[in-house]
Amino acid sequence: MNLERLPNEEKLTLCRKYYFGGFAFLPFLWLVNVVWFFKEAFVEPTYTEQLQIKTYVKRSGLGFLLWVAVLTTWITIFQHFRAEWGEVGDYLSFTIPLGIP
Amino acid sequence: MCSNLVRCLGDGNTSLQKLATSIVFFFCLSDVSCNSVEQKIYVELNNTVPCVRLLNATHQIGCQSSISGDTGVIHVLESEADLEWPLSKGPNPPYMVLLESSLFTRSIMMKMKNESNRVAGVAVVVPNTSPPEFSPHTTCPNENTGVYSDNYGPNLAHCNTTVWNPRGNGLSYEEFDFPVFSLKEDNETEFIKQCYLDHNRAVNGSAPQYPLCAMQLFSHMHAVTNTPTCMRRNDINFSINPEMVCDPLGDYNVWGSIRPYNDTVFGHKENESVVIAAARLDSRAFFWEVSTGAEGSVSGFVTLLAAAQALREVTHAAPPTRNILFAFFQGETFDYIGSSRMVYDMENGKFVIDLDNIHSVLEIGQVKNLVNNLQSSTAGLGFLLVEPNVSQPLPPSSLQRFLRAQPIPGIVLADHESAFNNRYYESFYDNAANLNLTYPSDLSPEEQLEFVTDTAKSLTDVATVVARALYKQAGGDESLVNTIKADPKIVTQMLYGFLVSSNNSWFQAVMAPELKNILKPSPPEYYVGVAMSSTPTRLVQYLLANLTGAATNLTQSQCMYSYLWVQGIVPPNSTERDSFCVRASVRLTKAVSPAFELGEYASKDYSTWTESRWKFIKARIFLVASRDLEMLTLGVGVAVLFTSLLVTYFISTKADVLFSSTREPASAAY
Repeated sequence: MNLERLPNEEKLTLCRKYYFGGFAFLPFLWLVNVVWFFKEAFVEPTYTEQLQIKTYVKRSGLGFLLWVAVLTTWITIFQHFRAEWGEVGDYLSFTIPLGIP
Repeated sequence: MCSNLVRCLGDGNTSLQKLATSIVFFFCLSDVSCNSVEQKIYVELNNTVPCVRLLNATHQIGCQSSISGDTGVIHVLESEADLEWPLSKGPNPPYMVLLESSLFTRSIMMKMKNESNRVAGVAVVVPNTSPPEFSPHTTCPNENTGVYSDNYGPNLAHCNTTVWNPRGNGLSYEEFDFPVFSLKEDNETEFIKQCYLDHNRAVNGSAPQYPLCAMQLFSHMHAVTNTPTCMRRNDINFSINPEMVCDPLGDYNVWGSIRPYNDTVFGHKENESVVIAAARLDSRAFFWEVSTGAEGSVSGFVTLLAAAQALREVTHAAPPTRNILFAFFQGETFDYIGSSRMVYDMENGKFVIDLDNIHSVLEIGQVKNLVNNLQSSTAGLGFLLVEPNVSQPLPPSSLQRFLRAQPIPGIVLADHESAFNNRYYESFYDNAANLNLTYPSDLSPEEQLEFVTDTAKSLTDVATVVARALYKQAGGDESLVNTIKADPKIVTQMLYGFLVSSNNSWFQAVMAPELKNILKPSPPEYYVGVAMSSTPTRLVQYLLANLTGAATNLTQSQCMYSYLWVQGIVPPNSTERDSFCVRASVRLTKAVSPAFELGEYASKDYSTWTESRWKFIKARIFLVASRDLEMLTLGVGVAVLFTSLLVTYFISTKADVLFSSTREPASAAY
């Protein structure tokens, strides 16, 4: 979708939708928000709705980074300790590797 | 190559493609052997037996390979000192070590286990002649599930008084994280050694040059850690692809009695007193499934079958006061699977009699050398039964599981007073040669079946003694005891069938028509396995029926349930078999450890042995190139790729210069 052809109010509505959508445990929506609206928020010359779009983009970026941190920490812990956790590790796993603990 | 080309041509429907296809077909037809490239690289090894992973409540034993096989440069080990080469000095690790059987010892295997990052795997060449002694089992078999424990006879437990298997090196119970395969001494092994001599030998101390001869072994096992873990992973439904990773070891016990029992009435029977005659059916070896167990188990159960046959007539003519129950237990090697299950069934009212109904137990253990001197005397037999010292513990035997539940008088008959005489206990060398089963060389297989060997004669004497003792113990008529004699012809036929070739005319006659495919020209395997269809169990079931039951005139449609329809012999003047119905009180009961019934996978009282599953097992050899050559090839390929990209880019940017034409480009409307 080409943002250049949209009127500014619709750009703001779109950005807002993606921002609120990301709260439903959907960090990739925030990533899309940041990437898509980055040019609109920081590079384009100023227009009325740009300030709000900027806040949305900044908050989406923060939210996404927070998710990255949490997921990386959990994945590292799980991959490292799954074998030691025995029963709990097996019940948390979708696919258990064969032949190795 | 031809098939690939044809596939490349695809399903074209243009005349050009049809022409090309027919040209390729023409060339293919003229070249009869369309070799695939894979066949030119790899030589598959077909006669290999792997070592697999077994698990119990706390440990895993056996061998494991990585999921895409373990590859190593072949090294034929010449002596223990030569281990330096694969373990430290050799420049091309990892190595695949090829061992002669004389070098398959605990010290060499342990050294390789400690340096397992340089050892990719081990291949053992099993010769046709046996070494002086070899037993991969532990020195104290089944030490934790017998009757002696820290609470009961602690000075007799854990082999503190008598070490039963002093020659045991415990290799079967070690864990190796590389694959160990066994090879037979045949053309394939010669080919491997020739490949090693051609490519891998170090010349004058300098390193051998690439390409080197390598072997790749696949035996990836699915189960890990121990039985509770693998049984839990079997049951998980939540995962995307539920996979079974292990199965409990077990099969069926065979039992039969002189007076039949109603198979549906379980529990204690009033005024019923039973003498149990027991033997074990199974055995094991280091490698998966190859186990011949000649002295360890066959000698015992063949003697018991012969004793059962010897008792048939006298018990029909003059039935003894007490009943005699013949029991053949499966899975005794692995912590008494069969006998613990029967005792459990008796304790919980799931068997036709109860522990209180048992008068006494007579068990036949390893009886190869019970007859020391065959001085035939007119009335007596040529051996003396000696009772060992009172402080001697019982050897590992099914009787111990009965004693664990209840004090019952019992005897174990064996040819060893303290340590085993068997030099190959639970190993792949415990075969017919170990029992001195030799036939004159000019006999046909049918004649060998009938030939009464010395071993058969001595086991017949033991069977006669056992039958007489059982009859007296069951309160039979004293005057008839001396008429009980075991038949040497039956004993020798059984020894032939169980140790030389199971596909002989007698076994064929006693088996059911639907089971005749289990008979093979080689002896059966005595490993208990997980498939619940072990050959020795079926053979003993039908033999016990044949030797203690009666042929009837019922037709096949009337022959149901505790009746067995068997093939019969081929009469001399026809080709059809004379099949008939045998009525016998021979039954099978499940021999799976009570630990799996109760779900107590970490049980200390019952056997918890399981066998891992696997996808495929194979072995192959091929020549490997050096790592540097591989990297060089990859580098050249990547360089060619980038060069071609660059060239294409330059050509496309300078296209108007390179492909200039004098004509004006026509402006076509698209």
